[in-house]
Amino acid sequence: MSMSDWNIVTRSMRSRLFSSVVTVLSVAIAVGLVTLLVSMRNAGENSFKRGTGNVQMLISKEPGPLPSVLNSMFYAEAPGNPITWAQYLELKRSYPFAWTVPTQLGDSYQDAPVMSTDASFFESFQPAQGVEWVVGSGRHFDAPFEIVLGSDAASRLGLGLGDTVALEHGAPRTQGGHTHDEFSFEVVGVLEATGTAHDRAMFTSLESSWILHAHDRREAIFGHGIVTTIDDLIDEDMKITAVYASLGERKAALVQVLSALRRDPDWTVANPSDTVGGLFSIVSNIDQVLLAMTIAVMLSSGVSILLALYNSMEQRRKQIAVIRVLGASRKRVFGMVLTESAIIGLLGGVVGIVLAICCGMLVTSVLAQRVGIVVEPALPLDGYLFIVLASVALSCVAGAIPAVVAYRTSVVRALRPSM
Amino acid sequence: MSEAKTHNALQISGLTHRYTAGQTPVIDIAELAVRPGEQLVLTGSSGSGKSTLLHLIAGLMDPAEGSVRIDGTDIHSLHGHARDRFRGRAIGMVFQTHHLLHGFSAEENVMAALMFSDIPRGSHRARARTLLDTLGIPTPTQRVEKLSVGQQQRVAIARALACDPVLVLADEPTASLDPENADVALDLLQQACRSSGAALLCVTHDRRFIDRFDLAEHLNAPHEQLQAALEDA
Repeated sequence: MSMSDWNIVTRSMRSRLFSSVVTVLSVAIAVGLVTLLVSMRNAGENSFKRGTGNVQMLISKEPGPLPSVLNSMFYAEAPGNPITWAQYLELKRSYPFAWTVPTQLGDSYQDAPVMSTDASFFESFQPAQGVEWVVGSGRHFDAPFEIVLGSDAASRLGLGLGDTVALEHGAPRTQGGHTHDEFSFEVVGVLEATGTAHDRAMFTSLESSWILHAHDRREAIFGHGIVTTIDDLIDEDMKITAVYASLGERKAALVQVLSALRRDPDWTVANPSDTVGGLFSIVSNIDQVLLAMTIAVMLSSGVSILLALYNSMEQRRKQIAVIRVLGASRKRVFGMVLTESAIIGLLGGVVGIVLAICCGMLVTSVLAQRVGIVVEPALPLDGYLFIVLASVALSCVAGAIPAVVAYRTSVVRALRPSM
Repeated sequence: MSEAKTHNALQISGLTHRYTAGQTPVIDIAELAVRPGEQLVLTGSSGSGKSTLLHLIAGLMDPAEGSVRIDGTDIHSLHGHARDRFRGRAIGMVFQTHHLLHGFSAEENVMAALMFSDIPRGSHRARARTLLDTLGIPTPTQRVEKLSVGQQQRVAIARALACDPVLVLADEPTASLDPENADVALDLLQQACRSSGAALLCVTHDRRFIDRFDLAEHLNAPHEQLQAALEDA
């Protein structure tokens, strides 16, 4: 193989291996940060939107749509304002819903929230758009004191079919909650993962939850040792905390129903997808600060390219002069230095994206394990390509000054024997 | 006889050069010619402008007046890329400190010169190896910084002759060598130029070598020129 500009450029980089590697790494870290931030931001919003499933309206008596969505769909806290069963039935009758799912939150087992609901939760509600519930083992609950586990709850708590648990009053990590020791729940099913917050929850029937709380009420009246069954329930015991609702394909009616419900001071109604979008627009300011900081890191990596190449110019003046004597034009020498910058940008871009993907996988795994939300920090191929090209372009801009120095190198001065 | 053969390898006419306008010219040569294959030694004390003259001949500097023709082409009439290409093909240069490309092997140094020539790329390696072999470098793949000073000088000579130049410019080629090695190096340079048919212009401050060349010229430093003028008056 004959010598080429490429040989000279790559050999020059190899002869300054440490400096070249450090420069490539500084670009890679900057590119990795930008890529991770952009991909995580999109993935976070998508993941939250995905977690709202096919619910068009979330109806509750919470102080506002955001706490309503965070509490009743993402299990942030136990909702505090109950809806009576009679109010729920009235609501159902008043609007042309395709389906409604009554839900009640207020109990937990260790750090897993327990959602009380009915069969419609598994039949009508999709945890993510187009994703149906799949029972991994066992079956759905169909009698009081049967409980079904989300996939993450099952693996984290180490529970399986046939195990029994006693629920605690209050949301997970609530101080001062008591355990409903009188009632033991049997695990009858474990659900497949859905990639939503529901994976870390446990599900039981509304009747089960109502009986627990009716028992607390009756114990206060009749003392310890009483037995409470479904027959002991009164209207006061039958409460829920939120209603998942959808008008199905009747999208035209959605705006009317939403505005009618919003006018009613008794209800808080949220379009979960819009509410999550609103939440992300609030945090986008922080995002922009982070993005600005990351761009600053990117620019500083550009400066490090400039410095690395500029400093190397001093020791390379002689090499440049020799190449010029051998017949290389100024433009060709300029091109060689720019090629070196572009290689640094390209390598930094590719390594940065690999770093971002690896870190993204780590974050995905941690979030899935700890929060039960699947965040997939991926960009389209075009996005990755754009980032690599931007890295190459920035590197070329940074390399322009050293390239000009190379272009203007005085051959006569550089070849003068040093005294 | 072809037209190319009628040109001198080097023809200098009315060449003057000043470092600063208005000063006494550091170079002032009315006429100087070196025929193809001829070998000229140019002596002069330090500061007499020997290296400057080589830079002018190689087209690395522009003169105040006059012309430098290499094989019939006025190198200063060429500009930019064209001059660089012409220099690469028509002129070989050997320096006092060799100026080899460190980090590259001996053959890569020779091939670096061939990069800028019209010689087919496929033949570069073989050509470099043949030249190095002729000049007594048995390990062409060894990095130049690992070679002895004498061997580095040979690589530098091979590089200067790689593109079959019409003229080789040697700037103090023996200055960094001891007397014994200086003799050997100069022998080698002269022999290599004779074999390839290239004319040789060697500048040196060492007058011991004058007899070994076909032609010898002496360059006076500006203060020597002034002294001579005063004596003539």
